[in-house]
Amino acid sequence: MTRKTHGPDDEGLPMSRVKPVADDVRKELEFHLHERARELEARGMSAEQAMAEARAQFGDRRIVEQECETIETRRRGTKRRAERWSALRQDIVVGLRVLRKSPGFTLSAVLMLALGIGANSAVFSIVNRVLLRPLPYENANRIVTVVERHDNNGWGNLPWANFVDIRAQSKSFDALASYSSGPATVLGLSSPIRANVGIVSADFFKVFSVRPFKGRFMNSDEHKFGTPAVAVVSYSFWRDRLGAPSSLENVRVRTDRDYQVIGVAPDGFTFPESNHIWTALEAVERGTSRTSHNDETIGLLRSGVEPLVAQREVDGILSGLSKIYLPDFDAVGAKIVTLQETLNGSFRTPLYLVLGASALVLLAACVNLASAMLARGTARTAEFTVRFALGATRLRVIRQLVVESGMLAFAGCACGLLLAAGILQVLRALAPEELHLEQVTLDGWVVGFALVVAVITTLLFGLLPALRLSRANVSLALRDGSRGTSGVGRMRAWNLLVATEVALAVVLLSSSALLVKSFNKVLQNNLGFSADSVFAARIELPEILYEDGASIRTFHERALANLRALPGVSSVGFVNRVPLTGANPSGALMVEGKPESPKGPFNAYSIYRVVGGEYFGALQIPLLKGRVFRTDGLPEPTPSVVIDEAFAREQWPNEDPIGKRVMVRGMDPGNESWLTIIGVVGSVRNQSPTTPFAATYYFDYHARPAFRVRRAIYTIHTSASETAIAPLIRKAFADVDNQVPVAISDFSETVTDSSASRRFPMALFTAFAAVALVMAIVGIYAVVSYAVAQRTREIGVRLALGATPLGVRTLVLTSAMQAVVPGLVVGALLSFGSASLLRNQLYGISPFDPVALVTGVALLAVAALVSSALPAIRATRVDPLLAMRAE
Amino acid sequence: MTDTRLRLLKGTFDVLILRTLSWGPAHGYAISRWIASTSQNDLKIEEGALYPALRRLEERGWIESDWQLTETGREARFYKLTDTGRKGMQAELAAWERYVAAFARVIAARPEGSIA
Repeated sequence: MTRKTHGPDDEGLPMSRVKPVADDVRKELEFHLHERARELEARGMSAEQAMAEARAQFGDRRIVEQECETIETRRRGTKRRAERWSALRQDIVVGLRVLRKSPGFTLSAVLMLALGIGANSAVFSIVNRVLLRPLPYENANRIVTVVERHDNNGWGNLPWANFVDIRAQSKSFDALASYSSGPATVLGLSSPIRANVGIVSADFFKVFSVRPFKGRFMNSDEHKFGTPAVAVVSYSFWRDRLGAPSSLENVRVRTDRDYQVIGVAPDGFTFPESNHIWTALEAVERGTSRTSHNDETIGLLRSGVEPLVAQREVDGILSGLSKIYLPDFDAVGAKIVTLQETLNGSFRTPLYLVLGASALVLLAACVNLASAMLARGTARTAEFTVRFALGATRLRVIRQLVVESGMLAFAGCACGLLLAAGILQVLRALAPEELHLEQVTLDGWVVGFALVVAVITTLLFGLLPALRLSRANVSLALRDGSRGTSGVGRMRAWNLLVATEVALAVVLLSSSALLVKSFNKVLQNNLGFSADSVFAARIELPEILYEDGASIRTFHERALANLRALPGVSSVGFVNRVPLTGANPSGALMVEGKPESPKGPFNAYSIYRVVGGEYFGALQIPLLKGRVFRTDGLPEPTPSVVIDEAFAREQWPNEDPIGKRVMVRGMDPGNESWLTIIGVVGSVRNQSPTTPFAATYYFDYHARPAFRVRRAIYTIHTSASETAIAPLIRKAFADVDNQVPVAISDFSETVTDSSASRRFPMALFTAFAAVALVMAIVGIYAVVSYAVAQRTREIGVRLALGATPLGVRTLVLTSAMQAVVPGLVVGALLSFGSASLLRNQLYGISPFDPVALVTGVALLAVAALVSSALPAIRATRVDPLLAMRAE
Repeated sequence: MTDTRLRLLKGTFDVLILRTLSWGPAHGYAISRWIASTSQNDLKIEEGALYPALRRLEERGWIESDWQLTETGREARFYKLTDTGRKGMQAELAAWERYVAAFARVIAARPEGSIA
């Protein structure tokens, strides 16, 4: 049994009650006066004389009384504090000894707390940041994105003409703006730089309710075609690039035109994405097409208007327009959702699932902690009983327990916070860029919540056993020994807890197995190209310097030649848009000899790319048939086009497409010519690693004088390292034109990043599954160990009566499995539910993939067997005689 | 009537109290009486001054107290010397003895000539 662990002040109540200070002082002085008066009386004075004389000799009684009271009050305060401190110190010393004596219990309790607090704090902080906290704009909940729905289940940006009609007719918006944004070369600064430039329509800034930090935004006259070129710049651009001029007069930036800077946006405003210059969209002619989906639309809903209500209104407007403009019209309705949803919506389900998982993990941690504390408390019943019997006050024992539990809670919280910081660090590194988790820190409220839950659990379950034992039943408990408080009821409750943990772990394990499997599918997916040893060099030719097609072509020819000459470079090409870059420009076209579609003469729809040099070679996109564009710089003899496999299969499943002709709608309005197909290449994933291959055709940049490929990504296949090749690439471009800055990146990193949005939830789930598994193992181990300890005597009897060790082990394991098996079954059932929630996160496997489920269940079953086998084996090492005498 | 009793030197009262308690626990009145009678009433002490002095000694941890019944059956606050108090008293007494002896030597000494 535990040694006596209480302090000397446990024994004995104070014999006399401590008098209140005033009484204590008054009584003492009264005693003096009384005794003195009696003595004087004995010498013959009258009672009154004697008292008067005693008082006179005493001096000023009031002053004495006051002084004594002050000193006494101070003395008692000091004494009380000292006692309290020494008691606490003693409790801590005793507590540490107790905790050190059972390291298994202590470690597992601290681990439980740390995992529960750590996982929760980190995940809640992220969820809070991504889903709950509004975007940093005024009226953020009213800012929406507007796109149109198409009948092929897809969607596209609003064409300018549709945007204008919706803006004129809709009553749902306070402001509606169209914009596009992309990198551009900015000239007119000390050196040319690349910056994102936004082209925005009137009311763009009104959507965000921002006011200029300096100067003004563009007015309605400047949002018109053919007006002087003016621009607004971001605060950081004004400060860092322009040198924070106090007057904007004569401050100019040159991109496609020479712009007068008229205003500076407030600090921090860089919508849509690190945007530093905004110019008027209307300054460029917009066209009347209702099928070109170039610019994005953003709006500020009128106060009180729900996105869905606005969407219904815009649906009506679009259906009215379609009646006028069909067949040159492809919208069938609108889709209006909040900007928050557009930016982070795809992470909502996985994050909520993870949030649920982390809450369950905290629950499991508390459950484990509670059962461990209860088991321990029950095991110590005899110790408490003895201490009560020896006269310790209940308060004293409870205080000891509070200190013990408090130390556990403290250690657990400290480890938990460290763990939370660590987890957050990892998650930040794993998170896809668009979540912007760089600035996420642990949220104070979240951490506070987890700490409070953990501390309450620890204290509550640490104290419960002592609270149950009142002085009244001490004698009973003494007689009963440690059997007194065990019970079938409690075992049943614990079995329930264990079953819950098991079910939870099964759900998390099978979910994460699904996600891991799906992620592997994504990774193994054939992208159609290889990014290995390819560097991407992005350039934007400034329109102000490259106005006509000839100068642009010359630039590309010279750049290709310079790059080809670099050491270690095996092939170089360029493209206007690389694979895996989201939504793709596409257009309708006419295939010769095919029936016209009901909507018009154009009978096919395809993504297109403009390429130069050995683009296909650099990305190892295989040539399947025919040939690719010539690379000797000479133009093709006839207007020609290369198509991909998906295009070929779609149009000519059983024919050779080489030599067939297509015409591209709107390519050279009024002067469209037939393009001859000269080759078929393999399909690539143009949008994301998981979007199906879609028909694509490739133009040669030489093909038409009208092509102005100012935005190009050069793909450079080389055996050289980035540090070696990057300066050479820069020089190759600078030798052509040093006014064109280049952004160089390892293209394989782009490919890796494209799967970050899947890796993130997978990593989170896997982490939580691992934690849940640990929780279940610890939980099962704790409960089975406790059950074995409770049944030591019974096991001893059984062994003495001839039961075999195997039989006893089977007995222990069987009772453990009574809790585990229902947990496994319930977990498997729940897994189906959680899997269907995950459906949208999965790629290439069914949410009811049996392997994932079996993995989860099997892993847990093995873990459960192992964690209950250890105490079961220990049970049979019991010496029957000792066991029966154990109490 | 003029009071010809001696004024008590600062710091000496505590020594008297401690010395008194060194003969055994006593309540305030008894201490007061003992000092008065042994000094043959030649010290000018306001009786009330004893009590703050006692409390202060108690605060210093040199004496401790509890309420007990006197022989006459009344409740009184009895003080007794603690171990610290006993050591303290011995040190103070020694210091006082040296002080008094030194004082006496100076007073008693006669120069053989001029002291300059």
